[in-house]
Amino acid sequence: MTTVNIAIEDLENDIKLVKFEGQLDESNVDEKSKLIYSLIESTDKPQMIFDLSGLEYMNSKSIGYLNDWYLKVSDKGGKIVLAAAKENIMDILDVVGMTQILEQFPTLEQAKKAFNE
Amino acid sequence: MAKKKDQITFSISFPASGYFIEVVQNYVGKIIKNYTPFKEDRWVKRFQSVVDELCNNAVEHGSSKNDEVKIIFNINNETVEIIVEDSGTGKKKIKAKELKKMVDQRHKEDLRTNTTIRGRGLPWIVSAWMDKLHFGDRAKGGIRVRVIKYAKNKN
Repeated sequence: MTTVNIAIEDLENDIKLVKFEGQLDESNVDEKSKLIYSLIESTDKPQMIFDLSGLEYMNSKSIGYLNDWYLKVSDKGGKIVLAAAKENIMDILDVVGMTQILEQFPTLEQAKKAFNE
Repeated sequence: MAKKKDQITFSISFPASGYFIEVVQNYVGKIIKNYTPFKEDRWVKRFQSVVDELCNNAVEHGSSKNDEVKIIFNINNETVEIIVEDSGTGKKKIKAKELKKMVDQRHKEDLRTNTTIRGRGLPWIVSAWMDKLHFGDRAKGGIRVRVIKYAKNKN
């Protein structure tokens, strides 16, 4: 059975750091996505960094959720950026066009700077 | 795929449940890395994704919970063929022709305006990374999805 852990941390300037570890797939993504929806709903103008450095795998449905979170955050005038994704994660995000939609940075530090500029 | 002299065939059957994703991924990873021309990590992970998407489709449209999903690998020096068969006992019954139509329709859509949770697996991930994608109805019921990747197209 695969697992994924999602940890949320408050950074400066009301930025939420959402750290994913493990793999997002058919066995867990419906349940785990609720945490992200709850975070988006409870924030007026969500400013979020998704730290993907510990994410080993994501399937197409997980990408569907990522797209939906992005749309909901954008509707509220907020922003999601991706940080430190592994090569295979970037590969699959690229093939479904998500890299054209979401800003992504090779490191967490660079992603933090994107909010402070 | 016509059987060649150097061809190896592997197959695995597992109950239609997300519980077995990791087992299947490990199995696919070992086969691709050890027995195919696609030994690079990038391609091993791509094949793992492709099989995962095919199996998720089989579970969603084809096999009822804990009914059988079968994966067959036919491998030679030039080609990797993967077949995923479901049992046709699932709730959302669909014929190969309808599934192909759905996938073709999705493929025409603009990726940037796709707002659905589902619908990126077969039309985008599998279609982009494999050279051929074919759907067929099984005589006993269910769908057989077949993909082929040619070694000459791996870059």
